[in-house]
Amino acid sequence: MPTLKFPLSRIEGHAQVVIEVQGGKVVSAYFQATEFRGFEHLVKGVPAEDMVVIVPRICGVCSTAHHVAAVEALEDAYGVTPPPLAQNIRELLLLGQLIQNQATSLFIFTMPDRLGTESIFQIPDQADTAQPMHIAQGVAQVRKAGTNLIKVAGGQFIHPVKAVVGGMTSGITKAEADAARAEVEAALPLACRLFDYYIEKTRELKERIGTLGDDAPAYYIASVGDTKPDYSGDRLRMLDPHGVLCDEFPARDFWSHLTYEETDYSYSGRTNYKGNVIRANSLARINMAKSMGTPYADGYLKRFRETFGHPAHAILLFDIARGIELVYALERALEILSGPLDGEDTHIGFTPRDGEGYGLVEAPRGPLIHHYVIQNGLISKADFIIPTVHNVMAIEQALRVAAERYITAERIDMELEHAVGRVVRAFDPCIACATH
Amino acid sequence: MKTFAVLQLSGCAGCEMSLLEAGDWTKKYELTHLPLVISSHDIPDVEVLLISGGVRTDEDLFKLRRSVKKAQQVVAVGTCAISGGVASLGDREEVRALFTAEESRREVPRLLPKCHPIDTFVNVTFYLPGCPPTPELFMVALSGKNDFKSSKIVCAECGRKKVKEIRPQSLAGFSQGSVLTDICLIKQGFLCIGSSTRNGCLAPCPRAGFPCVGCRGPSDILMEKGKAAWLQSIQRIFETLTDIPAEEVNAGLRSPQLSLFLFQFSDYDGTARPVRPKEKMI
Repeated sequence: MPTLKFPLSRIEGHAQVVIEVQGGKVVSAYFQATEFRGFEHLVKGVPAEDMVVIVPRICGVCSTAHHVAAVEALEDAYGVTPPPLAQNIRELLLLGQLIQNQATSLFIFTMPDRLGTESIFQIPDQADTAQPMHIAQGVAQVRKAGTNLIKVAGGQFIHPVKAVVGGMTSGITKAEADAARAEVEAALPLACRLFDYYIEKTRELKERIGTLGDDAPAYYIASVGDTKPDYSGDRLRMLDPHGVLCDEFPARDFWSHLTYEETDYSYSGRTNYKGNVIRANSLARINMAKSMGTPYADGYLKRFRETFGHPAHAILLFDIARGIELVYALERALEILSGPLDGEDTHIGFTPRDGEGYGLVEAPRGPLIHHYVIQNGLISKADFIIPTVHNVMAIEQALRVAAERYITAERIDMELEHAVGRVVRAFDPCIACATH
Repeated sequence: MKTFAVLQLSGCAGCEMSLLEAGDWTKKYELTHLPLVISSHDIPDVEVLLISGGVRTDEDLFKLRRSVKKAQQVVAVGTCAISGGVASLGDREEVRALFTAEESRREVPRLLPKCHPIDTFVNVTFYLPGCPPTPELFMVALSGKNDFKSSKIVCAECGRKKVKEIRPQSLAGFSQGSVLTDICLIKQGFLCIGSSTRNGCLAPCPRAGFPCVGCRGPSDILMEKGKAAWLQSIQRIFETLTDIPAEEVNAGLRSPQLSLFLFQFSDYDGTARPVRPKEKMI
């Protein structure tokens, strides 16, 4: 039985796709995560409050989400509510990450698929007269607006430190906020131009390949509300394949609503909802949104709905949904930066106690849950429920759809290799996180 | 243009994200391999090879040995590549037993008994410590010359005042309430180890109100002396600046698994490894 293996690039981490074919028929399509560090094992016995330093190291791309989820899990266990100013700064922190991540995924990971290049760092200047700017430089500026937000809100832009149990270690000075605002203001029109170009190039791609990928109706999971998404996450929500809210539960009830299973072919586990394929990440949130609550993002959302309907299922729309969120995050960051952030009321004292806590954050890739059990001040058990894990079955289903399109009894169309890359990148999986 | 490539072993991609932020390299250097941002599956011959992540699996080891042959200079980037990093937390008997349970998975790379720094297996031209190293430091690493100048320790850069009148009685940590601006974190009862940590980062964490956890590793002076001397030097700082009982500081420093200090001590502890020369440390 011929086995096709496709090592993956332009995603976070080490993974490959394995497709087994027999007599021109696709037998199986696996998404195989090939790295493992074992964070659930290695945090056993560490002092609980050290988690806020250790767990961001699960992933340098998603470190902000892990940092905040760790703090929230500990606050849940200790019964602490941080002051409003701290919550404001945490929202800004998560928006900074969303800007950085969506800009990276859209323009560094998936733009080359639209332009037929290996990397945006290898696009010749003015390769395309419609190109709105030097792509790599424009992208760097948009990303920087996001990383700088993480820096002012979190102390450093990778593995931030400012969120601690009880709040934030410090506020944001007026000067820092003003500088960050100027950067975000400059990045917003740039991001819109890059996104418009991206939408146009996606339309051309669709004309060329004839599809936007697997569009089978699916369940969606996210932890944001339906207007003005707050990425601090409150409850998990499920949308059914018709776009109707069908379930809602707190993080601690995760285990009774979703089924998690390990596999023997990958270091990543996977989840399902009552046996059904689920999808997390940008398209889940956009399908859930009634409005974004900011003008430009709402304009994009309206056009998205008019063009693709509701709920939208085709997988390349994950990428477009990411662009809407990029615009939203920039606009929302401007709103927060316009308010006072330099107050001293960023933190309250607390009394540590043993017990159990859940932290929930809507990371760029979907709902992230941290669950800790604390005994004698030390971590005795930790679970990290990673957004990518919710998408594994959806990725494999979409891979199968792509494989069946390009594999026939007579031949294997080499477009398959590109298709495999596009499918996986649409879900923007994070392998360091998924395997941790 | 000078060419460089990046080999990612088992790590978090934080080092690569930091490299991407150092936007200037696109004008000076040609990146030929980094699967995170380029579709390429093999490392070509290059002048500088940056290696991030630790050696966790047999596949890591295979890639490491194969790749260094293609490079004129090899830079060990980040704590994982230099000392095994956060994964060294798993270098304990009880955790190792848990790892063996993972070995039943088929078709994935086998796990090695522990996570190794890369210089266990290959020669390294320069070390670029930090978790992750700052974007500016990447530019130094790419230049191929270790001519970076900065103050010796993180403590010299944080700008917080060591007010004489304040002498904390205990290691209260964040439970006590807000962090005071402008006052030394040790003076507020935090276990900050900026006094023994190599500078170059310009102290972003203590500036933001979070004690230094030492991710850049030991300062030049302490690098060659070993763990006992480091712990002593930190103890002395606390004796000078605080009234916290020595036993309490000592217990904090040696807290379970040394988890907060794993960046400084993890791989230096109890191994026969030759000292890494400070001339090679950026």
